[in-house]
Amino acid sequence: MHVIILFGILASTYLMVIAKRMPALIRSFRYQSAFLFLITSVIAFKEARIDLYIVAALIISLKVFIIPHFLFFILKKIKLNENLGSFINAQLSLIFALMLTYCSWTLSNVLGFSWNHSMGAAITVALSVVFIGAFLMISRMMALTQVIGLLVMENGIFLLASFISGGMPFFVEIAIFFDVFVSVVIMGLFVYRINKLFTHIDVSKLSRLRG
Amino acid sequence: MQIFFILAIPLLLGLGAVILKDNRKFGIVNSFGYLAVLVACAMLLKRTISSGCAHTYFGFIYLDALSAFFIFVTSVVAFASALYSVGYINTGVEDAAISKRKAGIYYLLFNLFCFSMFLVPALNNLGMLWVAIEMTTLISAFLVGFYNTKKSVEAAWKYIIICSVGIIFALLGTILFSYALSMSGAPKSLNWSDMVIASGRMDKNILKIAFIFILAGYGTKAGLAPMHTWLPDAHSQAVGPISALLSGVLLKTSIYAILRFGVIVINGVGFQYFSNLMILLGSISLIISCGFILVQKDLKRLLAYSSIEHVGIISIGFGLGTPLAVAGALFHIFNHAAAKSLLFFGAGNIVGAYKKHNMNDIQGVIGVLPFTGIITLAGVFALTGFPPFSIFVSEIMIMISAFLKGSYPVAGLLLMALAIIFAGFIYHFGKMLFGHPPKDMARQEEPMSGKIALLFLFVLICAAGILLPFINKDLIWIAQGLFQR
Repeated sequence: MHVIILFGILASTYLMVIAKRMPALIRSFRYQSAFLFLITSVIAFKEARIDLYIVAALIISLKVFIIPHFLFFILKKIKLNENLGSFINAQLSLIFALMLTYCSWTLSNVLGFSWNHSMGAAITVALSVVFIGAFLMISRMMALTQVIGLLVMENGIFLLASFISGGMPFFVEIAIFFDVFVSVVIMGLFVYRINKLFTHIDVSKLSRLRG
Repeated sequence: MQIFFILAIPLLLGLGAVILKDNRKFGIVNSFGYLAVLVACAMLLKRTISSGCAHTYFGFIYLDALSAFFIFVTSVVAFASALYSVGYINTGVEDAAISKRKAGIYYLLFNLFCFSMFLVPALNNLGMLWVAIEMTTLISAFLVGFYNTKKSVEAAWKYIIICSVGIIFALLGTILFSYALSMSGAPKSLNWSDMVIASGRMDKNILKIAFIFILAGYGTKAGLAPMHTWLPDAHSQAVGPISALLSGVLLKTSIYAILRFGVIVINGVGFQYFSNLMILLGSISLIISCGFILVQKDLKRLLAYSSIEHVGIISIGFGLGTPLAVAGALFHIFNHAAAKSLLFFGAGNIVGAYKKHNMNDIQGVIGVLPFTGIITLAGVFALTGFPPFSIFVSEIMIMISAFLKGSYPVAGLLLMALAIIFAGFIYHFGKMLFGHPPKDMARQEEPMSGKIALLFLFVLICAAGILLPFINKDLIWIAQGLFQR
């Protein structure tokens, strides 16, 4: 069961890497969060933990519904050209993503997870989601993509935490959720401001400050 | 119990900023509030040092000498910039650069920013520490983009994105630390006090990898090169008093986080690993900042690069790790906070009078703003490490311990970098401060609150430099306590 859901997370991450337009990217993020919700509820069911059910409820309400809605809302509001504008094209990006997955597998072996097969797979997926999120942030030009990249990294870290340390303490988890939500809203405000001042949100053209 | 008082005052003042409309009167109330916080922090520091043991409240707040020291440094700079804000914001409102409503928002954000920075050193839970540090980023992003110009919004965007990504890696590192704790057989916990007890039994391999993530993550926020790229942008575009807070204490809160994890790594892996990484990053920061300081044209960016240099020196000091070096690094944290705030306030006055940042267009500051000009000149000497100012003492402490330890390359690098930076600063500031003022500029009046803030910091760096040789026993005591857990 775990492995199928993990495969879903990895597949939706690869979908993000090859996405060429903004709505596709946000949709794939939604799939990824939905899989994250599934895996959290499976763990919650297995271990019969109430706090994990609450976390799962938070994931589905915040990451599957509210945040993607908010991103679509901004997208509509700034009426931008929906192209992502990547420095690295889709095919090459996919190759990079596969390489990052391989690196995460090596890293999870170094960390000593190879003794347990499904655990090793989970950590590999989690780490590769984190690294691919970082890759998305540096290889795409639009400001909104960087926000999504950050969210992807956060998803990966969440997955990692729930596997290797059985989740963080409850109130820390809630605080981190709240924090991520606030940061997305603030970044959304800044994207809006950038669009208003510069009439575009192409980060590669933000180069007034030098030296 | 002082810590609750210290945390409550900024929150109450933030509430007051929403209610009270008169920004001048509120600014004065604000400064008195931070004076009270400063006194409370000094008492807290004295108590933690004299009692010598850590205080915990509800398992959530953990205070030992190290956290009390960081809280004290924060309160010094917060008080000075609250004082400086009165005149700065008032002039802004009179010149119609900012509206009255915006002045209120400024004070609200200022107080929230200070609150989050007081919170960071007080927390025991490493997950909450992460949340508090991320909070400082989110709040100060608005203060960086405050003027809503193209440049400031660009700086704020870079600041929020680079720091958020960096700090996500720090969260990854934190989780790996908690994994190492659970592997060692100790009960699951994210509390620092629990981790330190179990640190000897943790898996070395995991600790090493986790500390790399921590260093990359919090190092980004601390402004260690090569992750420093947001720093000059954000510091040069932020509101004047906020630049001082960013440079004086925001960077130090991340150094605090690195130190907390560093203690665990030292206990678990051994000192050499920690030392090598800190000295490596510190040296890169020194070299990079040297180059940029020499060729800089923008006044506030020059000061920002100097912050990178000083963070590098602090990191080298902790990396050397002998009691003398650690004491020097801690003392340097305080000195850099005071001296850099002094210079940022001076630069704020200069930019306010000349309405430009480019150092080639500014001349004859001493003629136009005599008080600011003279005190800035003293500040330049202080910042570049001249006696009798206190930075000289802390730099010499780090240098001597590098020689005593036999790390001659590090000592040589430090000496060379300090000489180059001294030359760069004297060249840049000499051109600005002396010479003939432009013809259309007359002598200008400076606001009283700004003068008091500058004088306060000036007295502090002089007093610390002259008196320290007599009272430094306490400081070395803290330093020894830090690495002997």
